[in-house]
Amino acid sequence: MTTTPIAAPEKATPPPATPTKISRRRELLSLYLAISPFYILFAIFGVFPIVFSIYLSFQNWDGIGDMQFVGFAQYQFLLSDPQFWKVLLNTFQIWIISTIPMLAIALVVAFLLNQQIRAKGSYRIAYFIPNVTSIVAITLIFGSIFSNQFGLVNAFLEWIGVEPVQWLTEPWPIKIAVAAIVIWRWMGYNALIYLAGLQAIPNDLYDAARVDGASWVQVFFRITVPMLRPIILFTVITSTIGGLQLFTEPQLLLGNAGGPGSEGQTISLYLYQQAFTLNDFGYGAALSWAMFIVIILFSIINWRLVQGTGTRGLRIRRGARS
Amino acid sequence: MALTRRQLLAGTASGLLGSALLGTAGCGRGAYLAPEDTISMWYWNRSISDTLLAKTPKDTGVKLAAQKIGGDFRAKLLTSLAGKAYVPDVTGLNEDIATYFPDEDQFFDLNELGAEEVKSQYLEWKWLRGQAPSGRFIGFPMDTGPTALYYREDLFEAAGLPTEPDEVAQRVATWDGFFELGTQLVEANPDVKLLPRGNDVFDRVVGQSGERYMDEQNRFIGDGEHLRRAWDLAIESNERKLTARIDANFSPEWNAAVSTGAVASLVGAVWVAQIMADGAKDTSGKWRLCRAPDGPGNWGGSFLGITKYCRDPEAAWEVVKYVQSPENQLVYGLNEYKLYPAAASALDDPRAQVEDPFFGGQVTNAVFAESAKEVKPVYLSPYDNVIGPCFTDQLTLTWSAGKDPDRAWQDALREVDRQLSHLGLI
Repeated sequence: MTTTPIAAPEKATPPPATPTKISRRRELLSLYLAISPFYILFAIFGVFPIVFSIYLSFQNWDGIGDMQFVGFAQYQFLLSDPQFWKVLLNTFQIWIISTIPMLAIALVVAFLLNQQIRAKGSYRIAYFIPNVTSIVAITLIFGSIFSNQFGLVNAFLEWIGVEPVQWLTEPWPIKIAVAAIVIWRWMGYNALIYLAGLQAIPNDLYDAARVDGASWVQVFFRITVPMLRPIILFTVITSTIGGLQLFTEPQLLLGNAGGPGSEGQTISLYLYQQAFTLNDFGYGAALSWAMFIVIILFSIINWRLVQGTGTRGLRIRRGARS
Repeated sequence: MALTRRQLLAGTASGLLGSALLGTAGCGRGAYLAPEDTISMWYWNRSISDTLLAKTPKDTGVKLAAQKIGGDFRAKLLTSLAGKAYVPDVTGLNEDIATYFPDEDQFFDLNELGAEEVKSQYLEWKWLRGQAPSGRFIGFPMDTGPTALYYREDLFEAAGLPTEPDEVAQRVATWDGFFELGTQLVEANPDVKLLPRGNDVFDRVVGQSGERYMDEQNRFIGDGEHLRRAWDLAIESNERKLTARIDANFSPEWNAAVSTGAVASLVGAVWVAQIMADGAKDTSGKWRLCRAPDGPGNWGGSFLGITKYCRDPEAAWEVVKYVQSPENQLVYGLNEYKLYPAAASALDDPRAQVEDPFFGGQVTNAVFAESAKEVKPVYLSPYDNVIGPCFTDQLTLTWSAGKDPDRAWQDALREVDRQLSHLGLI
């Protein structure tokens, strides 16, 4: 750290630095030093692993012995790997059946919490608690709830006379069980974000709507939802990234293989299994880059969808009015 | 002099940088877990008695720094081996010891340190599992996992079946006999199943066999008769409706099935007794043990190895030899932690013959000792953990998704092919 990027150019023979220049340089130096711990740690634990994983994805490595350069073979195998396409599909299925209901319920909950109701604070706390509860505990409890023969859900189904479901062994029920944990855990969190957005909507709009005789449903879809669009975009993108990286819930509920027939194995669970239980680090690295590309693609698509329709819709309405 | 805020910040930052630099310099010097005259050891909870480790330095004259490693033991060991720094001198290796064979040069050949001299004291099949195909001996025997049939005496009685261990053992001398008995059990009470999972039948039959998935040249032999037999028996157990369709072993559901009497028996390793005693306390006294259907097998068990980073392998060997001596395997392994000894003499020792109230006062060791002595030696390949799931995954699909067994078998073989070509083995 002898020179900082801001240091005076070398050419201009620095005149015996004026007191102000020295103190400025020292000030900058200490500012850089102050922020350096983050960047040093980030370089070691963030940048290096990312760069190394690119390198790793072109090697064959069991974690101990010598690496062996294999070119694009890992990526070639990945494209022909039915398991990769299966876990990709699993991830999307779980993501869709968790994210859409979760955000919809969160929006409704936020809308209700924004009304004049009693004990608002305790509701907010209640909705946020799942998010700060230990996920290991949550998953264990959900494991018992969805247990095939001794679970709460099946006991209830039998009680109302419905055939019990093999929640942890059949393809779709497995995904529903995983999605249920995700919904339960993240619904309150998203509701609170929506709530913050709702409070930023001026009351005049609601008052005006009420004067015009709008119903609750009309208020919700004509005022609340359009005004919340940027917030909804934010939650859609964060849930996309989170949903496509889903790991802990299926891992704890179903194990590294994702349950019978790998029906609950997500892409990050597959990558973990390949790298850390089967010690195929090269393939694990290639999978992580495939996952990166998928997430980027879907963030762009989401952004276009949510943002795109928004502006278009607004334009049409404006046009209609004029 | 009072420290200004600026000086404090600068000081902290340079301190951080300095220690980072020192840290890297440390690698060049050679980074060890313990000082030169001390042997470092990694083990996991309940794999070696803490009482025994506490008295090891006094009895062997070797200074020992033993660390209990929690979490993912294997990942941590691999990390230290990959980093070539802070590698333990002595380390526990689990039943997946064969996955270290391709990197056997990371470990000392214990035969060169004198392991040959004590070889005769240990079960041969267990000893061979610690030996790489090259003949180098890298894993010293710790505990083993001989299997037996666990059964509920009361449920067997209610179904009009024999209840005495010897009589039951006779009825279940073959898998067919076992399934016959199961049919009678299920007919008497359809709510009670014979076994938790059909996949267990596959795993146990494979565990009994003298061949697994590969030969010693790492050529695939899993399409042979021995594996097809395991597969067919597993399919049969499901088709005869003898299994309870439990999702996974030792899951909450498994615990529930075992503690409520939804399953009347299971073929388990010796260490399953502890899991049942913890998870199904209410059934204490109702369980019995006898010889497993079609004879004994092994499920689980671990090893101790000395890594090549050890500076004093002779001292490390003294520790390994002492900690796993027949006497200590008996007193601190079996009697303190219920770790089943790999030393033959420990099995027959009068001190091992303990009556277990969970099994109605039965001397369980009588069953396990016989089982442990009869396990067949088998070659475990480094790739068994890749190949095995190809079969069990497909097997699961036959009962969870109704997949045709023959198609599932073909798909399993196809998947093995794909995995082996990815590994570069075919």
